[in-house]
Amino acid sequence: MNSRKDLLTIRALSDEDIRTILDSASAMKELLTKSVKKVPVLKGKSVLTLFYEPSTRTHSSFEVAAKRLSADVTSFTVSQSSVVKGESVHDTIDTLQAMKMDYIIVRHKNSGIPAVIARHTRASVVNAGDGAHAHPSQAFLDAFTIREKYGSIAGRRVVIVGDILHSRVARSTSLILKRLGAEVAYLGPGSLVPLERHTGIPRFTHFDDAFSWRPDVIYLLRVQNERMDSPFFPNAREYHRVYGVTEERLKRISDLDLAIMHPGPVNRGVELCDLAMEYRNCLVNKQVENGVAARMSILYHLTPHTRQV
Amino acid sequence: MSDSSDIILDKGGIALALDEMAARIAASRAPEPLALVGLLSRGDIVARRLASRLEASGREALCGAIDISLYRDDMFNLENRPALRSSDLPFSTDGMRLVLVDDVLFTGRTVRAALNAVFDYGRPARVELACLIDRGGRELPVRADYVGLTLNDPARPVKLSLEETDGVDRVISAPLQP
Amino acid sequence: MKSKSPLYVTGARDILAGECVDLFLADGAVAAVAPAGGMRVPQGVTAVNAMGKLILPGLFDLHARIGITSKSLTDCVSCTSQAARQGGVSGIQCMPDLSPPLDGAAQIASLMEIVSCRSEIEIIPAGCLSRGMEGEQQAPYDSLRGKGVRMITDAGRFPRNILMLHRAMKYAGELGLTFALRGDVPALTEKTCAHPSVTSYRLGLHGSPACAEEIGIDTVIRLAADAGAAVHIQTVSTGAGASIIRRAKEAGQAVTAEAALHHLLYTHECMGDYDTNFKTLPPLRDPEDCAALLEAVNNGVIDCLTGDHSPCIPFFKKQDFCSAPAGMITLDTWLPALYTFLVKDGRLSWKKLLEVCAFNPRRILGLEIPELKEGAPADFVLFDPEGLTEVSPAFLKAGALNTPLLGSRLSGRVYPL
Repeated sequence: MNSRKDLLTIRALSDEDIRTILDSASAMKELLTKSVKKVPVLKGKSVLTLFYEPSTRTHSSFEVAAKRLSADVTSFTVSQSSVVKGESVHDTIDTLQAMKMDYIIVRHKNSGIPAVIARHTRASVVNAGDGAHAHPSQAFLDAFTIREKYGSIAGRRVVIVGDILHSRVARSTSLILKRLGAEVAYLGPGSLVPLERHTGIPRFTHFDDAFSWRPDVIYLLRVQNERMDSPFFPNAREYHRVYGVTEERLKRISDLDLAIMHPGPVNRGVELCDLAMEYRNCLVNKQVENGVAARMSILYHLTPHTRQV
Repeated sequence: MSDSSDIILDKGGIALALDEMAARIAASRAPEPLALVGLLSRGDIVARRLASRLEASGREALCGAIDISLYRDDMFNLENRPALRSSDLPFSTDGMRLVLVDDVLFTGRTVRAALNAVFDYGRPARVELACLIDRGGRELPVRADYVGLTLNDPARPVKLSLEETDGVDRVISAPLQP
Repeated sequence: MKSKSPLYVTGARDILAGECVDLFLADGAVAAVAPAGGMRVPQGVTAVNAMGKLILPGLFDLHARIGITSKSLTDCVSCTSQAARQGGVSGIQCMPDLSPPLDGAAQIASLMEIVSCRSEIEIIPAGCLSRGMEGEQQAPYDSLRGKGVRMITDAGRFPRNILMLHRAMKYAGELGLTFALRGDVPALTEKTCAHPSVTSYRLGLHGSPACAEEIGIDTVIRLAADAGAAVHIQTVSTGAGASIIRRAKEAGQAVTAEAALHHLLYTHECMGDYDTNFKTLPPLRDPEDCAALLEAVNNGVIDCLTGDHSPCIPFFKKQDFCSAPAGMITLDTWLPALYTFLVKDGRLSWKKLLEVCAFNPRRILGLEIPELKEGAPADFVLFDPEGLTEVSPAFLKAGALNTPLLGSRLSGRVYPL
């Protein structure tokens, strides 16, 4: 893969880049079966996790990935209060420059922040989720999980269900899957799905229509707490009944032998019924497992510009 | 391939060198069980060829392959990082006699990386090194136990082609880069 | 820029009459006009040879911000004035969103004092619609009027309290003040920064629906009709918004409207990869809206073109798209940009340009109109359509660099008189 400093979006990658990162992720996953689960490739390099938004999974997944590559990992916790007080991202960037980091992993509630940071630092910047814009490492672990399950991605059909409007996961994952030859459709209420002519992705309004499309994977997006019982939909119970995997739908999914995915953490009784987590084709835990390998591969393939300094 | 390149070994020459190496690996009185571990890429092909020779002579040898990219000391400085290949060691290395197999031995840095890599998989009883060509030019205290052919002009690049990947078996001593 | 010292201008082309003229300016007025070559320039008096150049009335922009973070008001006035001069603009209406806002006679008095000694252009202050622009309490409209205010506006903010707005219109409408509002429904546009589109989806930016602006325009027009107040709709950005205004005009209501040039030229796609220079309020819309707005300018539904000049220090524009302030600077490049993007390819005639950028804005504010006739105010610029304007950081005098035209070369060049 050609030299690339940052990973901000899937859109910025070539098809070859995408395949290379996925292939390396497979090799990384095998490494994790060794007795020593660590390789020295990033020995002496420093990785900073800069999370302006709380996230247990993505944060620890990146941290484990960086540590498996022998990097030194530091967490820079930015309290929401200091952001509110007007500490701009630029102030933080200046601080980071002084720390001579090689990799910066950023999550922020505003779309486009990682790009701003990437422009102003020599370190490699990995977007760990920005606003409703992009979440490329999630896209890689999703694609990796589907490829692992089915052997290939081309020709597979994936229905992404739920809050597309606010979802960076939907944007990045649909993009990577389409680039790899899969077909993607959205399913969700009009209040949470942008217009089809804006997304370029067909939309279903009812689960039954989605089933008739003969998908391979039902991918449920997390309903954020702040969206629950807010004007986007009446309440969680109704959401579950209309757009969730109810026990009845789980049976249908099982009969059709479809896979279930979810970026986690799952709101049981909202996106998925309790039984769904035990379903044989529920790949949620696989996704978490593959997250480390995917993120190791991403870190391995980026080239910080810190070397010349 | 330019005509001015010299063919050092042809198909027959390579086969003969491998025969000899396999015989010496088999003759060693080192403890069993034996496993050949090829270093990706090409070392794995040489390892498989050695293994089949050993098997033909009645010696059982396990065969595996490892990608040592993540152990290289220059990886961080590379601009273009190739996709990693999956290492394939489908057996426990604990207590084994491992023979690391590479195609061309040069500075010794690859072997250094490979040693680190195999020890992350377990604790072999003994590790040896086999390589088809020893080009000289060592930068580390590394010596091969089994060598197919030793060259004595380290400045001259060597190009090994194998049927499995390049369609033809031969070793060429490439002209010096201008 | 009313010339005070006597000045002869010879051979300039009057674009409206299509003829070349000589003119003599003295005491801030046109002292004499004659066909080219018909005037003898006395010895010792300054004369400008304007052969090949157009003579135009100085343009007037109804909608400009002058405040710049960390600059004194004096510096802001002087920057804005210099920027306007080189863009062919001889007068602006200054939005009241300064710090402190222009919500009282004292604030306006201190601004006007600075203007009187620092500005080379005419600056008409707009007064706040509500105290502190907070949308709750009425500002002292009559005191504002007494200080030269003609328009009442909260500079793009829609009052939270619509009852306050309705009463203010009833009260201040009778004082002869015009209410200037941008169509908006704040509840629908909160936390948004882009037009809902392919681009907003791609960049993950929350969309500000066009209907919010259109409902807002309709609301303002209906309130004004009911209250009997004159109303001016600011920065109309959608074709449907223009249609609402057209209907109100057809019904005979006292409504005027402006559109910002960037809404005629740019679409949401220009935001590219979070280019904050293309963050505007309202956001850049669809190509159909650009076309509809140009048509509305040409057929008189939209009375004025404005730049919506909004200087912003680089630090703020370097932030992410959501955090960066909206707006771009337009005064420095105003006439060359209008010429390059609209006049040159025939999308807007010179006649129409003067109507929407010089005459109508002054008519709406009740100001004198500069004309090429004896006794009219001497408020003209020369424009060389063959010249070039290099938009470099050194060229820009506005005290900010936030224009997408930075680094480009525009056709035509302004020579202030």
